[in-house]
Amino acid sequence: MAGTEEKDNADSLVADIHKKITEAFDLFDHESNKTVDVREVGTIIRSLGCVPSEAELHDMLHEIEEEEPTGYIRFEKFSIMMTKVLIERRYKPTPDDQILRAFQVLDTEGKGYLTVEELTKYMTEEGEAFNQEELEEMLSAAVNPDKGNIQYKDYVSEMSQEDT
Amino acid sequence: MGCSPSKKVVRAKNATKRLRAVVRIQTWYRRYRANLEARRRCTWSIFQSLEYAGEQDQLKLHNFFNNMLDSLVSDGNSPAPLIRAFNVNKRASIYDTQSMRDSGGEMLQNLLEGMEVEPSYKGPHLTFPLTMNQLHKIVQSFRRKLTLHAKYTIQLLLEVRRILKTQGNIRYASTSLSKQVTVCGDIHGKLSDLYTIFHKNGLPSVNNPYIFNGDFVDRGQFSTEVVIVLFSCFVMNPNEVYLNRGNHEDHVMNLRYGFVKELQMKYKQHSRKVIHMFKDVFSWLPLATVVDDQIIVCHGGISDTTNLKTLAKIDRHRYMSTLQPPGECEDISTMDTQDLIEWKQVLDLLWSDPKPIDGCQPNTFRGGGSYFGPDITTSFLQQNKFKLLIRSHECKPEGFEYTHNGQVLTVFSASNYYEMGSNLGAFVRIQGAELECRVVQYMSTHSPTHRKVSFTQRINTVEKSAIQDLKEKILASKHKLLSEFKKCDLDNSGSISSSDWCCALETVLEIELPWRTLKSKIAKCDNNGDVQYETTFDELEVRHRYSGNGPSITETLYRHRENLETIFRLIDTDHSGFISMQEFEDALMLLIKQVDIRINERDIRDIAYSLDINKDGSIDFNEFLEAFRIVDNFGKDHTKRVSRDHSIDSAHVPSIASELDEKE
Repeated sequence: MAGTEEKDNADSLVADIHKKITEAFDLFDHESNKTVDVREVGTIIRSLGCVPSEAELHDMLHEIEEEEPTGYIRFEKFSIMMTKVLIERRYKPTPDDQILRAFQVLDTEGKGYLTVEELTKYMTEEGEAFNQEELEEMLSAAVNPDKGNIQYKDYVSEMSQEDT
Repeated sequence: MGCSPSKKVVRAKNATKRLRAVVRIQTWYRRYRANLEARRRCTWSIFQSLEYAGEQDQLKLHNFFNNMLDSLVSDGNSPAPLIRAFNVNKRASIYDTQSMRDSGGEMLQNLLEGMEVEPSYKGPHLTFPLTMNQLHKIVQSFRRKLTLHAKYTIQLLLEVRRILKTQGNIRYASTSLSKQVTVCGDIHGKLSDLYTIFHKNGLPSVNNPYIFNGDFVDRGQFSTEVVIVLFSCFVMNPNEVYLNRGNHEDHVMNLRYGFVKELQMKYKQHSRKVIHMFKDVFSWLPLATVVDDQIIVCHGGISDTTNLKTLAKIDRHRYMSTLQPPGECEDISTMDTQDLIEWKQVLDLLWSDPKPIDGCQPNTFRGGGSYFGPDITTSFLQQNKFKLLIRSHECKPEGFEYTHNGQVLTVFSASNYYEMGSNLGAFVRIQGAELECRVVQYMSTHSPTHRKVSFTQRINTVEKSAIQDLKEKILASKHKLLSEFKKCDLDNSGSISSSDWCCALETVLEIELPWRTLKSKIAKCDNNGDVQYETTFDELEVRHRYSGNGPSITETLYRHRENLETIFRLIDTDHSGFISMQEFEDALMLLIKQVDIRINERDIRDIAYSLDINKDGSIDFNEFLEAFRIVDNFGKDHTKRVSRDHSIDSAHVPSIASELDEKE
């Protein structure tokens, strides 16, 4: 009957989501004791396909941290929060064309590319600033070795191909 | 005058727009990086699970044979010579090592009999005592892909043996003269990593002492070269080079993990004697080194019963292989308590792994040893007034790792251990009065002109390799998996649910992995997430070039090929690479007894017959093992090629050579 079938589907969806969350969590659970370092929670959440900003991430962490912050997040709390997030499809990733448009906004002169200085300035001085490591890694892939600048159209399409 | 209000508004709007764009890009990039990081860890867990599953297999095989040793006498049907072949520690060597004279004796002459150096030999002619100049020549000849002649190899080994016999089970190093000491971890035949270490840290000398913490051989392709270079350094500086035994300085491990095979290939008709010498010399390697009475260095770790006093007194030479009870023991069940205690002491030192949970449990994934917790470490260090335990044995992505609140330091020196780009290697410099530990990391590249690979490309390469290894393992159980899949496919649609698929894989393969995450990389899925299970195998199947037997038997043999290899090499006591048809049949029969597979005697005889290619009653088992192929529907070969290790062409050879020049 339609009703029970729907419920079955809903149940199996939740079960599926739960397993996904468990697997992602376990990858970062170094001590095999169902806890992860709080600094890696962002990575885990993003690897599950959710794209909160740093500010939104901060809020999520606040929800699941212990009363006395221990530096660790426990699985139970994480799982409950993450299940809701995934079912409600919150923090969906931005489609590529909007990323392209974001680059174009930064390209104030409409050159079709950004210089290393420009991108560095934006990424490290504005918004939710990159640290040195993040900047270096982005530049290592984004800078066109022949032209010495960031051909952002190519960069965005390369990234979208690599990202399964 | 200032700005007009509308201009201000526009400027503000633009600023907001820009801010939003920046945050969008930052968030997008962070997501991409997180994905990479998750993939990197996933890949790592694939490699480690496969590695440890192999070791577990090894353990099962050896428990099985240790048990069978008991029934050697009682069971009249067991192929007795075969079983006897497995007691490596008991086998008569080509010489009686206890009464062997060290110099000028008859035994020595016999050993080197028939080993005259041919005029066509282009490598170095060693004379003892060894000099730096000769090490230089050895390194140069390795670069030209020459093998050190068996005669000189054996002479070197005899010299090593002579010195090792004078050293205790536990060596004591002091930094009073040199003010520092360097510790290196597993090298596993990666010659380029050894050269990298010498390039960065200098060659061993009176002012530059080294502790090499075991596992010099197996897995890599230049185990012979690595161990010859290390042993050469050792005989030139016996008081400044400390060699600890690892679990791979062990004949039984060498049979399975490549060292014996490498020796056979490189020494050909002389390999038997060379293999026996290595077997003997490895059993003389000390078990641990203590630095300034404060830092203990051993290959694996400790257990709750580790006792240095007991260790100091045992006769370490009785263990040609630590996987078997020592020399004279007839039968495990009648082993006396003292022997059991000593055996456990040795196993624990060479095989244990630290774990984050308190307490001590048997190490079920490896060949023996224990899992020891932080409390065990604390009490051991306290008891012995040590401040740190340095060990190796486990590959780490960064080449090193502190654990147990900084009381245990793991150092692993083989970079790119699983695959090019999989991990860094590292060594530790202990310096100063406070014995501070400074870790140096590196990653070997193929050549000086190797293009710098981006993080992403590296992850892609390593991931691809891991998935290929995993798929091979999946293919090896194709029949079992298909039958499990079909059980779940009630409506015969060719698709089953995600959880059924994951469950089947975990049950049949018996390895824990994030299957759900890996699903899309292994098989095709429907739009609703169900798995088209036949695509798990990519239309590939295992074939054997020579055996005409059915797919199911071929697959079974393929699945157990590592065990088969171990068994073959054990049977092949003269290390010729050939065994008789009867021995081959006996080996398969033994394997069947150990694992649950259905091959009847008729099939075994057929297999043996089809492999006797020259029809001379003997089987070249190297060829047998190498003849497995993975082919697709069109017969195209998809077998994974072992990546060529270009260690010998290492970029650092010239600099080491010049350093050697300077020292003359």
